[in-house]
Amino acid sequence: MSPFKSASDGSPCNYENIHVIGTGAYGTVYKARDNTNGRIVAIKKVRIALTENGVPMSTLREISLLKQLNACDHSNIVKLFEVCQFLERDGKLMILLVFEYLEQDLSDYIENLPKSGVSRTTIQRFSRELLTGVDFLHSHRIIHRDLKPQNLLISSQGHLKIADFGLAKTYDSEMKLTSVVVTLWYRAPEVLLAQPYNSSVDIWSAACIMAELFMRKALFPGTSDKNQLDRIFELTGRPGVDQWPKTISVSREYFPMRHPKRPRDFCPTLCEYADDLLSQMLSYDIRLRPSALACLEHEYFQQEPL
Amino acid sequence: MPCWYYDKKELRETPSILDGVTFETERRYRKEGARFIMECGTKMGLGHNTMATGVVYFHRFYMFHSFKSFPRYVTACCCLFLAGKVEETPKKCRDIIKTARGILNDNYFVSFGEDPKEEVMTLERILLQTIKFDLQVEHPYTFLLKYAKCFKGDQQKLQKMVQMAWNFVNDSLSTVVCLQWEPEIIAVALIHLASKLSKFTVLDWLGRQPSHQRWWDMFVSDVTMEILEDICHQVLDLYQSTQKEGQEPNSPPQKPPSRADSPTNNKVLSLLLPLPQNSSIVDSTTLGKTKAAPPPPPPLPACPPSDNGGLNPNNAAAELNNIQSIKSLASAVPVETLPPVTLNTNANYHMYHAPPPPPPPAPIAPPYPPPHYTAVPPNMGYYNAGRPQQPQPRYQ
Repeated sequence: MSPFKSASDGSPCNYENIHVIGTGAYGTVYKARDNTNGRIVAIKKVRIALTENGVPMSTLREISLLKQLNACDHSNIVKLFEVCQFLERDGKLMILLVFEYLEQDLSDYIENLPKSGVSRTTIQRFSRELLTGVDFLHSHRIIHRDLKPQNLLISSQGHLKIADFGLAKTYDSEMKLTSVVVTLWYRAPEVLLAQPYNSSVDIWSAACIMAELFMRKALFPGTSDKNQLDRIFELTGRPGVDQWPKTISVSREYFPMRHPKRPRDFCPTLCEYADDLLSQMLSYDIRLRPSALACLEHEYFQQEPL
Repeated sequence: MPCWYYDKKELRETPSILDGVTFETERRYRKEGARFIMECGTKMGLGHNTMATGVVYFHRFYMFHSFKSFPRYVTACCCLFLAGKVEETPKKCRDIIKTARGILNDNYFVSFGEDPKEEVMTLERILLQTIKFDLQVEHPYTFLLKYAKCFKGDQQKLQKMVQMAWNFVNDSLSTVVCLQWEPEIIAVALIHLASKLSKFTVLDWLGRQPSHQRWWDMFVSDVTMEILEDICHQVLDLYQSTQKEGQEPNSPPQKPPSRADSPTNNKVLSLLLPLPQNSSIVDSTTLGKTKAAPPPPPPLPACPPSDNGGLNPNNAAAELNNIQSIKSLASAVPVETLPPVTLNTNANYHMYHAPPPPPPPAPIAPPYPPPHYTAVPPNMGYYNAGRPQQPQPRYQ
C-alpha cells in the first residue's frame, strides 16, 4: 500500500497501490491510483539490476519500443501512460510501466457468461481482435509470451485489448530465479520443454484462448508441467523420436503414446473452418504454425459465423 | 504523450533563466554542451544519429533543470552515454569520461566530482525520468536524405547542396530548433537555406503533384516561410560571433550533481577560473568540416536529370524570389550594425584549456562561409559580414 514516489526530479510519478491484479510470468501488475488526478491505472513493476554500465541496453531498447508502439495507438493494445523508475534500497532499479486500466478481463467475461454462452459472432470478433493485436506486436518485434484470458481486457464497448506486455526480455534475464506460480494452460510445448522459441508461442496461446471461447473452459487445464504436456500430446499426438528435443533430460517414453486428434474432438461446437484454423495454430512443430497475419487471412475469418 | 516542443515564451522562461542565468548565457551553455557532445562522440567514433540523439536529450533535460544545478559537461556525457545505448552503439561510461577528460581541462573537470563515473551513472536515472523515457528521437538527417532523393537536377550541384544542408543540420544541434520544430521541418528549412546558398534551386522533383507549389508541399503541410526563415536565422546566427558572448563571465556550475544542492556562487567561480582566451583550437563555426567532422552523408542514388532545368519565365521568377528571400533573411541584421567578429567564441569549452603555445603567424580560417563554399553569391552582405576582412592575430 505504500505510494510509489519518484526519487529523482519530482516529476509526477505518484501512484498508490490498490491491490495486486496479477502476477504474470514476467512481472507483477497492480491496480493503482494516480494521486495527481485520481485516475485508476494498471502498473506493471519490473525490478532490474543496474549493471556496470547503468540501465541495461536491452531494457532501454524495450522501453523505447513500447513507447513507439504506444504512439501507434492500436485499438487492440492497452495504452501506456508513462514509464517511471526509482532506486530501491538494495540498489536495484524499479521500473514502473503505467498502463490504462480496464475493469473486465476475458476470464471474468467467460465466467459471467449466461448459459447460452458467447455468440459465434462475438467469438469471431474477439478472435480477430486478439490476432490483430498479436500481429501488431509481432510486427514490432514484440513477443508477448504470456497471453492468457487474464491478460486480455474487455473495454466497455466490448473490444478486446492485449495487456501485460513489455519488458519480457528484461524480466527474463533478471528474474528467472523468482519462482512465481504461473498458469501453464496457455503455454506452448516448446516453452514447457525449454526449447528455443519464437513469436509462434503467441499463436499457440491465442489458439488455446480461442478454443476456450467456444468451450467456456480451458482447452488444456494442466496441473503440472508433465500433465500439461500430456494434455497437449492428447491433441497433437506424442512427438516422434525425431521430433523429440535432444537437449532435454526428460525422456519421450515418460509420456504415454498418443495419436493426433482434431481440435473438434475436444470441442464439438467448432465449425469446420475454426477446427482447421485451430489445428494449424496448435501444431507441435513451430514451423507449421501460421503467423498472426496468415491466421487473419484464414477462411474462418472470411465467413459469416454460423 | 509528453510534448517536446516549446514556444518562444517558454524558451524565455526556462528553469535556468528562472534561476538567474541570462538568456544569452543559457544559449551559450546549450551550444557548448551540444558541441561537446559532437566532439566527444566524434572522437569515440559514434555516428551522427547517436550524437544528435544525445544532443536532443541534452536540450530537453534543461527544459526541466537549471544549468546551475546540473553542470553541463556532466549532463552532456550522460546524454551521450544514454544515446549510445539507445542507438545500439554503446560506449562504456568510463571511456566517455576519459574522452571528456581529454577535451576539458582540469579546472573544468572538477564538476565531475571525485567519482566521475558515479556522477554520470547517478545522472542517468535523473535523465531518464526527465526525458520521460522518450528515448527514440528522429533527426533531420533522415528527412534530408529522403527529400533529396526526390530532387531532380544537376547531380553535382545537388550533392553539394546536400552536403551543405547536412552541415547545417550538424550546426543546428547547437541551437534550440529541435525544441521548437519537428525534424521534418528543420530538414526542409535547412535544405531551403543550402539550396539558396549553393544556387541549386529545386525546380522539379519526383512525385510532384499539380497542387504542390513548392517541393516541400509534398512532405510537410502548414509550414510558413516565417517558420523556415526563423530556423535558418537561428542556424545562421551561430556564424555571427558576438563580442558580448566572449566577454561574459563564465559561470559554469562546478559542483557535481550529487552535491548540487545549493546554487553555485558564480562570482567566486568567475574569479577562480581563467578568463576566456582565444584558443587555437578548431574554429567550430566550420564544424562539420574540421578534422573532427562527422561523416558526410551517404551518396545519393542517381536521380533522373531535370528536363526543364533551363530558362523559362517561371524559373526566372523563382530566381527572383530566392534573391528577395535571401535579402529578407539578411535584413534582420543590418550589415552596418554587425558587431566586430571575434573568433573562436563558439568553442567556449576550449577556453578552459591551458593557453596554447604561442601562435603561429598563420591566418585563421574565416568563420563563414567556410573555404569549401566558394559558391556563395557575392551579393550576400549578411554572410560576408561574418568573414573578417583581415586575418586576426590570435592574441591581442
